[in-house]
Amino acid sequence: MSSSDEHAHSARHPHLAEHFETIQQQDYAARLGMWLFLGTEVLLFAGLFLGYTVYRHFYHATWHACSQALSLSLGATNTVILISSSLTVALAYWAVKVGKRNLALGLLAFTILCAIAFLCIKYVEYSHKFHVGELPGKWFRAEELMQYPAANMYFTIYFLATGLHAFHVIVGMSVLLWVAKGIWKGRYTPDYFVPVELGALYWHLVDLVWIFLFPLLYLI
Amino acid sequence: MTQQSQPSADSPAVYPAVNYLNADRGVKSWLLTLDHKRIGIMYFASVLVMFLVGGIFAMAVRLELLTPGPTIMGANTYNRMFTLHGIVMIFLFMIPAIPGVFGNFCMPLMLGAKDVAFPRLNLLSLYLYWTGAILAISAIIFGGIDTGWTFYPPYSTTTPMTAFPALVGIFILGFSSIVTGLNFIVTIHTLRAPGMTWMRMQLFVWAIYATSIIQVLATPVIGLTVMLAGIEKVAGFGLFDSAKGGDPVLFQHFFWFYSHPAVYIMVLPSMGVVSDAIAAVARKNVFGYQMIAYSSLGIAFVGFFAWGHHMFVSGQSPFDNGAFAVISMFVGVFTAIKVFNWVGTLYRGAIAINAMFVYICGFLFFVVFGGMTGIAVATISLDIHWHDTYFVVAHFHFIMVGAVIMGFLIAIHYWFPKMFGRMYHEGWAMVSASFIVLGFIATFIPQFLVGNAGMPRRYYMYPERFQAMNVASTAGSSLLAFGFIIIAIYLIYALVRGEIAGDNPWKSMGVEWQTTSPPDKHNFAKPVVITKDPHSYQKPGEEVEHVVI
Amino acid sequence: MAQATTTESAHAKDAHHHGTKSYWVVWVILLACTGLTVFTGQHDLSHVFPSANITIALIIATIKASLVVWYFMHMREAAGTNRIVFVTSFVFLLVMIFGVFGDLWTRSPMTLPYHTPTTEGPEIEVPEGGAHHAPAHHSPSPEHHE
Repeated sequence: MSSSDEHAHSARHPHLAEHFETIQQQDYAARLGMWLFLGTEVLLFAGLFLGYTVYRHFYHATWHACSQALSLSLGATNTVILISSSLTVALAYWAVKVGKRNLALGLLAFTILCAIAFLCIKYVEYSHKFHVGELPGKWFRAEELMQYPAANMYFTIYFLATGLHAFHVIVGMSVLLWVAKGIWKGRYTPDYFVPVELGALYWHLVDLVWIFLFPLLYLI
Repeated sequence: MTQQSQPSADSPAVYPAVNYLNADRGVKSWLLTLDHKRIGIMYFASVLVMFLVGGIFAMAVRLELLTPGPTIMGANTYNRMFTLHGIVMIFLFMIPAIPGVFGNFCMPLMLGAKDVAFPRLNLLSLYLYWTGAILAISAIIFGGIDTGWTFYPPYSTTTPMTAFPALVGIFILGFSSIVTGLNFIVTIHTLRAPGMTWMRMQLFVWAIYATSIIQVLATPVIGLTVMLAGIEKVAGFGLFDSAKGGDPVLFQHFFWFYSHPAVYIMVLPSMGVVSDAIAAVARKNVFGYQMIAYSSLGIAFVGFFAWGHHMFVSGQSPFDNGAFAVISMFVGVFTAIKVFNWVGTLYRGAIAINAMFVYICGFLFFVVFGGMTGIAVATISLDIHWHDTYFVVAHFHFIMVGAVIMGFLIAIHYWFPKMFGRMYHEGWAMVSASFIVLGFIATFIPQFLVGNAGMPRRYYMYPERFQAMNVASTAGSSLLAFGFIIIAIYLIYALVRGEIAGDNPWKSMGVEWQTTSPPDKHNFAKPVVITKDPHSYQKPGEEVEHVVI
Repeated sequence: MAQATTTESAHAKDAHHHGTKSYWVVWVILLACTGLTVFTGQHDLSHVFPSANITIALIIATIKASLVVWYFMHMREAAGTNRIVFVTSFVFLLVMIFGVFGDLWTRSPMTLPYHTPTTEGPEIEVPEGGAHHAPAHHSPSPEHHE
């Protein structure tokens, strides 16, 4: 049973690799590989969530006080931005599937703009903290919060978690740029769009992490 | 290409003129290959070099311990020796070895596939391995780390030492491991040949599958841990620093959450090798195939819940201590299942007494002994006495060397003819196998005794009364080293001038043996269809039925 | 899993079948949930039960995450293996957290960082909350048999 016998009249799918029999098998493998990779990303962030939970447990009042020091409006805005970017990337994937190339490109462009906006807001937040001295570990020097034990620990967790997340935003943005390039060049069409799906999945993961980070950091 | 062959006295063994080794020529064809077999060979060369490096550090440690006082080095150097021995052996040899070499080479063949699911990712994992290795080895050049491979803060994060390159190296090695595991899981799910249900996979594949699950789930945590340790060292973040409100025990939780499942990453593949080889050596169906398959998954699963047994005396609560102790013992159940099944496979088999069989015997003895001492150290009240003594060192070396390295040697001897089409000299193989098994016993049994008597680990000096045992241990390690040297010699000789092995010198029923040795670049000449259960050897008087059409 | 259907027919079916309505609906729900969680986060609900705030926040976050995973990430149509893979990673995240918490909740209070009394510097109010059993002891009594 080989694909060449099955579809003797048609050539192999242009994107079908040599070691796979059918494009469905390859697509299945690609999706499984991506979900496994997303699983590893979840476990990478798991450690930071553990650190957050542990130190919040130790320093309950500090955590409450320090989270008030964060700008809720900026955090909420970022949440709305990411959620909307998730929508647009899902719509972009749909657009590729139905062959609406320009719509897909437009939606991806919007998604990438959302990512940039997210990073800009993060920059604003970070620079405020640098200014006020709400910094991790030995760099901490914010006066109003010094009365709370281990306030520096809050900001250690804050910077580590949001920093790692921001890094993933940048990576996700690059992935989406690469996907957009593929759509623009006509590589991804209604006949072959699994890479678009995988890129979108990565972006959704970035959104997922923030969905948990936002309440834990800003709303406690 | 030749059909599946049963080499008989009259048909000469054939060495295929064109095979994966010579199909494409030139350094670039190797460095940019997408062939899982070539990647496996490159891993092979790499891990052997790393084994040599780690072995040199081991010899340095053992030489220093010949006398109670300073022998050939001072305290700081000794600390660096055992640290590097641990780091190199664990991250650069044990974790990548069997999956990287034999998982890559044999597993797709065993599935009847043409390659792994993501060949380019496979090549990436090799490059990540090389990058991580260079960075980690740089720790030697910068003369840095002396914390032990466990790198506990606050010592590791507050003492000036050049640890950053090594931490980055280990981070990158983690990615190599994740990529390999991910690739293997997808391969096993999607590229099994028609007719190969899950219950028709060879047991080595089951072992690699379980290992890959652990690699994918656990390795990100060590990635994060070394990242956090590095950031703390370099940037003074204080996550594990009590002066800033941090908790050093939290680092231990982070570290061992990976490093305990990591030991199953090391041991499961070698158990898989034994399952496969023991069927071939005994020429008999594996006893309790399903139980062995499920117990691999069982070990992988339970292994995730046991990490706290490394922290009994760290300040962890008694409640957690108890919970971890009990859970750790369950691993013994799964291992015991395997041991009984292996022995059941040997029972009434037509056993070929060769080097592989010697290693298998050694393996069985060492895995039982090492496993039982594992249960012993999992008993909290006993571990209070044994923690950080040579008793623990001996326990884990019984598994790491006695089980894992024996498994690695079995794999080498079993699949050498498959990989290179040539046979090694059986007589020398038996000689070196004896040296290794005896040398191993001589090295590590004294360590149990001296550890129980109270000798602490990671100390370069010790009380006079322990010297006899230490000398015995060092003598044993020299025997071990000697055995390895002999193996290296006859294998290199076999590479160049060994007898042509033929397709299937062991007459094994494994799918990987149903193609030429060495295999063709594309693995199988015809598409593979599986019609029989795995490891299915014929009973006396039965016609030989081929596994594969 | 190799089906003989062509790619075109399978995916055209998909597109007409699903359309984009579900994405917009989910988006609106996500925004509403965000608004809700911001609202509840502003109010101290510890009179309802001690850790009400974080519990509610996490429940809402889990709902949001589930919507994203099920609809946006197409887990609705995903193969069973993919679902198991992703869910398993969350399970082990919880294992890690609860394993460590087993330690923290049951450690002797004296060993916890914030219970160590300082003998110099300004008086710091020792925060409550955290240890779920023994009250904060400041005297290192020899009867502590840990």
